[in-house]
Amino acid sequence: MKALPTYIIRFLLYGVLAAPLLLFGLYAFSEHWFFPAFLPKDWTTAPFTRIVMDPQTGNSLAASLGIAILSSLLSLLVGFPAARTLGLRNFRGRQVAWLIFFLPTVVPPLAVGMGLNILFLRLGLAGTLFGVVLSHLVPTIPYTIFTLAGVFASYDENFEHQAWVLGATRLRIFFNITLRLILPGLVVAGLFAFLISWSQYLLTLLIGSGQVLTLPLLLFSAISGGNPTSIAALALLFVLPPVLVIAASARYLNQHGNTVREQH
Amino acid sequence: MANIDLISLSKTYPGQIRPVLDRFSLNIASGELVALLGPSGSGKSTLLKLITGIERPDMGDIHFDGKSVLSVAPNKRGAVLMFQKAYLFPFLNVAENIGFGLKVMGESPKTIRREVARLLDIIGLPGMEKRKPSQLSGGEQQRIALARALIVQPHLLLLDEPLNSLDNTVRMNLQEAIQRIQRELGITTILVTHDLNEAMAMADRMALLINGQVAAVDQPMRLFQQPPSESAARFVGITTFLKGSLAHGTLRTDYGNLVVNTNGHAANSALFAIRPEHIQVQQHPGQNAIPGKVVGCMYRGEHIEYQIAAGDLTVRARVPMPATMVPHGENVFVIFPPEYLFAINEQFVRHSSTT
Repeated sequence: MKALPTYIIRFLLYGVLAAPLLLFGLYAFSEHWFFPAFLPKDWTTAPFTRIVMDPQTGNSLAASLGIAILSSLLSLLVGFPAARTLGLRNFRGRQVAWLIFFLPTVVPPLAVGMGLNILFLRLGLAGTLFGVVLSHLVPTIPYTIFTLAGVFASYDENFEHQAWVLGATRLRIFFNITLRLILPGLVVAGLFAFLISWSQYLLTLLIGSGQVLTLPLLLFSAISGGNPTSIAALALLFVLPPVLVIAASARYLNQHGNTVREQH
Repeated sequence: MANIDLISLSKTYPGQIRPVLDRFSLNIASGELVALLGPSGSGKSTLLKLITGIERPDMGDIHFDGKSVLSVAPNKRGAVLMFQKAYLFPFLNVAENIGFGLKVMGESPKTIRREVARLLDIIGLPGMEKRKPSQLSGGEQQRIALARALIVQPHLLLLDEPLNSLDNTVRMNLQEAIQRIQRELGITTILVTHDLNEAMAMADRMALLINGQVAAVDQPMRLFQQPPSESAARFVGITTFLKGSLAHGTLRTDYGNLVVNTNGHAANSALFAIRPEHIQVQQHPGQNAIPGKVVGCMYRGEHIEYQIAAGDLTVRARVPMPATMVPHGENVFVIFPPEYLFAINEQFVRHSSTT
């Protein structure tokens, strides 16, 4: 008896989530879909392949992927020591440190972007791929720090001490013990950073100065162009990589997330 | 196996006023098992971290076989610590966990395999190589942790309350196992515990750590029967202290005169103590008897535990079974046999923190 309402709710939720994608699917693989028709009349993959095969699409996809991967790796690199200190140590000014790390998520991105733009112009980083990667660290680092600090809050340093007294060097402890223990947390934090960087529009536009063309930028220009087929095709292309990344990490976490089980 | 000298070690954690360790000195002979006993927060775990090198002392020195090891990194010191939790690496199986120390030293897989099998035999869990830590019971985890510590043949084995989280039967088993292995391998060991019985059962010598200092150190039996100071006495379960003035083998107290063995004790004010199981309770007067009233009695199986009020003194006595139980409220006499009353040299300083 109780099963029925949950089914309905579940169905509605899935429907709400899937509807836009479904609509994109319909648009992307059809032509001449005009008002009174309930479904498109002509099914075709031609416009979709045309957009996918377009070198500009390929280039911007590569740029997006490259920037997202690089900035998530960099933010893990920067976030790790900060998160470890915040999660494990109690020190004077800890609250202030939290606030500073949290700040980029509250300050309007437009203000940050304009400021960075001026700075990067002087440094010669504006309009470069690396400059864009650096600018993406502004919104990604807070999230990696929060995620990893949570991981370190329940982390027990005695695992490291144990390895240390057994003869392991610090380098070995870091790679064989610490990283292994927090790997699931690293995956989640990296995933967050990837997704944030992936959907970044404003900072790419401001810092890239039109020279660095990522998928969101392409998508925006398609939207202003107003062709529903290209909008739909690009949108699908834009959604696909994050879905794949999430699916892969969910699979990984399911397999390995439980290995660090509480002893005793 | 090494002769360990801990020389006047002091440690204060940042932001704290009271030192955790305050000029702590102790010598541990090669092959000896010393139990370090103290209330929680007395600096026991800190001391072990100083010895391994995980933390550095503010002052003092640590010698292994006469040589200072303060500048030696923890991974080179050969002092292996075993914690209350097993800390088995969850992503490694039993064999990989035990072999960890040899692997980081670059031993060959063949040697590691052979040594792991040997250690598993010693700890009594042969054939467990392929298990995962999560598949083991608490006692088994601790045994594996012990094997992992022993495989590197440490100069010094440090046990930080390794049996605390285990239930009683497993605990007793492991106490025996650790003692047997320690004797067989002749490995110098420091056992930290707050369990008096465990310390007495396992140790060659027992050191009481109170307020960051060694309050007493001796063989378990001597320390238990005749602790040298009041705080040490309280720690080993003595609650009856008799203060008075001493003259001609008689201690004059507020509760009456008691015959005592002075052993050349000449001070005219003196503090004597007696273990609760040496106090007799009877309903007729006698030598060294103080009248009192039963205010509490508990049947404990092997003995009856009385609380007897005599003036402002509350005497705790343990009368071994079989005995007839004197009910609550009854007037009785508490007997302090002279041969069991012993003098405490410490001045009359009351440590309110020790219970």
